[in-house]
Amino acid sequence: MLYYAGIDIGSTAIKIVIIDEDANIVGQKVSGSGSMFYKYAKESLAQLVQDIGITPNDIVYIVSTGYGRKLFKEADETISEITANAFGAVKAGESFGTIRTIINIGGQDSKAIGLDEHGHVVNFAMNDRCAAGTGKFLDVAAAKLEIDVEELGECHFNASGTPLSINSTCAVFAESEIIGLLGNEHSKEDIVAGIHFSIAKRIIRLAKKVGLNGVIYFDGGPALNAGLVAAIEDELGCELAIPEYPQITTALGAAMLAKEGYSYSVSKELQE
Amino acid sequence: MKQNEQPEKAARRVRKVENQKARHQRHEAMEALKMLDALRHDFSKPLSSMDYFYELFEKVYCRREKLHSAKPMVGTLCIQIPYEIIYAMDAVPVRLCNGFHTNEQSGGEFMPAKSCSLVKATLGMLKQEDIPGVDKLDYLVHPTTCDQKTKSISMVEEIGYDVYHMEFPRVKESEESREYWRRTIRKFTKDLSKDLGRKINRRSLKSAIQKVGKAQVAYHRLNELRKLKSVPILGKDIFLITNAFFFDDIERWTEMTLAVCSEVEARVKEEVSAAGKRSPRILYTGSPPIFPNLKLPYMIEQADGVIVADESCSANRLFNDMVSVDEWFMYDMVDAVADRYLKGCTCPIFTKNDDRKRRLKELIESYNVDGVVYQSFAGCQVYEMEQRSIQQQMEALGIPMLYVETDYSPGQGGQLSTRIEAFMESLKVKNRRKQEG
Repeated sequence: MLYYAGIDIGSTAIKIVIIDEDANIVGQKVSGSGSMFYKYAKESLAQLVQDIGITPNDIVYIVSTGYGRKLFKEADETISEITANAFGAVKAGESFGTIRTIINIGGQDSKAIGLDEHGHVVNFAMNDRCAAGTGKFLDVAAAKLEIDVEELGECHFNASGTPLSINSTCAVFAESEIIGLLGNEHSKEDIVAGIHFSIAKRIIRLAKKVGLNGVIYFDGGPALNAGLVAAIEDELGCELAIPEYPQITTALGAAMLAKEGYSYSVSKELQE
Repeated sequence: MKQNEQPEKAARRVRKVENQKARHQRHEAMEALKMLDALRHDFSKPLSSMDYFYELFEKVYCRREKLHSAKPMVGTLCIQIPYEIIYAMDAVPVRLCNGFHTNEQSGGEFMPAKSCSLVKATLGMLKQEDIPGVDKLDYLVHPTTCDQKTKSISMVEEIGYDVYHMEFPRVKESEESREYWRRTIRKFTKDLSKDLGRKINRRSLKSAIQKVGKAQVAYHRLNELRKLKSVPILGKDIFLITNAFFFDDIERWTEMTLAVCSEVEARVKEEVSAAGKRSPRILYTGSPPIFPNLKLPYMIEQADGVIVADESCSANRLFNDMVSVDEWFMYDMVDAVADRYLKGCTCPIFTKNDDRKRRLKELIESYNVDGVVYQSFAGCQVYEMEQRSIQQQMEALGIPMLYVETDYSPGQGGQLSTRIEAFMESLKVKNRRKQEG
């Protein structure tokens, strides 16, 4: 059996997916990327290979993506996370129907990708440089509120009043705003709901740039946050398609591209 | 120096604080060298005729050698100041629009936080009072083109320069604006002649027009080669060549550009391509890439794109239209020079800018463009605002466009390169599907 790996080295986490010849996911792993992207990615891959009981040589083709893609020297190919995300979403979201819009929130950026009916990228929009409305923003807010990021979703649904408004577009300034709200004796829950709605509004503005049609697929780590999902759905007025494992869509896309890349390189070899 | 510190401890920290001017120049040189190295060594199949240009930039920005001697130097702060008039007085025009991040930072003190990188960097450079490549500035001309340039005149004066204010209209199509601009140029011709104490006559103006015309011809000859199916020269080289036009001796520049043409033409015969087989053909438009801020062209071509055409005031707008004279009389020639600068301009400062759209469409068709990259410096309102209508135009034409907002900071993380790579990937997929039918 031949195996293909997709490695998505993101700003916060390293995501790895291994698929077999029939494109079934045989292994997946999410680990922190810390400060040594390359080292941790290598270790993480070795661990996953061991866990699923194959040898490194069984993996015939590796595609890396994400911020650290160029650092992973063992990769046969690198691809931008936008293309990989689109490929992964089409595969992971098959059961939802034809996906035409992807909303992705990552550790340090957020993006919207528009697809045509064949699943090819037609346009995309990304936040500019700052971490507003990203996973980092949620981290900063949770730390200030002294709660775990995992608890944010739960908190959202316990909000009692009108969600508070967080106007700042910058993670650092938003922290000052949160401090201001705490100073006015607002509850953590109301603040959390406010944060979710402010992120929702931002991401929808971004998504409108690429056009909102068909099934809207939402992935990236923050898609695990049910409160944020609810806020985006409320603002959007429709349901989002969320995969079982929202963090690994892009790595899956890279693995799919690895499979394609391998068969392409083999057919080229045969021709020559 | 720290109060009450133990001498042994202080001795360990002894260092000399660097002279500020030397430090600034060192930073400039480092920035210049970094970009030159990247442009020179990160691409395969370099053109040997490009060496002249690489060395020219190194000479000016790293070794700080002066290029022109014994002639009056006229600094210009926009593309709209007619070179022909200046050359006709045997003076040398030097375009001072600056592209250094170091200067952008030091010039930032004059400007609001969200304002044009180019204007900030130009102020930062003027503040240094040691202009690369220029021994002594004899004259400085500042037009009232965009808002930020117009309002920055007072800061240039605050630094201590005498500035010649040149009025520029904001409407292009009307007869009034044409007359207004002609009068501006007639007045400028008289004033410059008086202030420099140099004469201008029929013969000298005619020869100046021809001198600039020859440079335009050389540029167009080079551009014709970019239309070919396998592109023989990369856009990063073209930007370096057009940037050199800002300050180089015009006759030497023309000669060296023709040398590049000859080498590239020889390459075409040998069927050597500078780009990959599937490289998407890119039209670059928007805020001007000015050395060493060539990071966007660099990134595009590192991501396997190839810039086949451009529409910006640091490249094609310098050369677009030629002066067309009815009669070689003084007044006819001065008016014809004025017309070239107003009519040929596709800057977004104009109320209505259909000419820019027409030009983009023409470039897309004749250079067989796959996608457009539109850069706007953050804070450059006119480019930011015009993006909307250009985006609509591209949608109507079915040409994908990537809009990028940047400044002069060299890094900008991986976000910018991710976007550019993803754009190139999507263009490749589109092309492949078109081929497959």
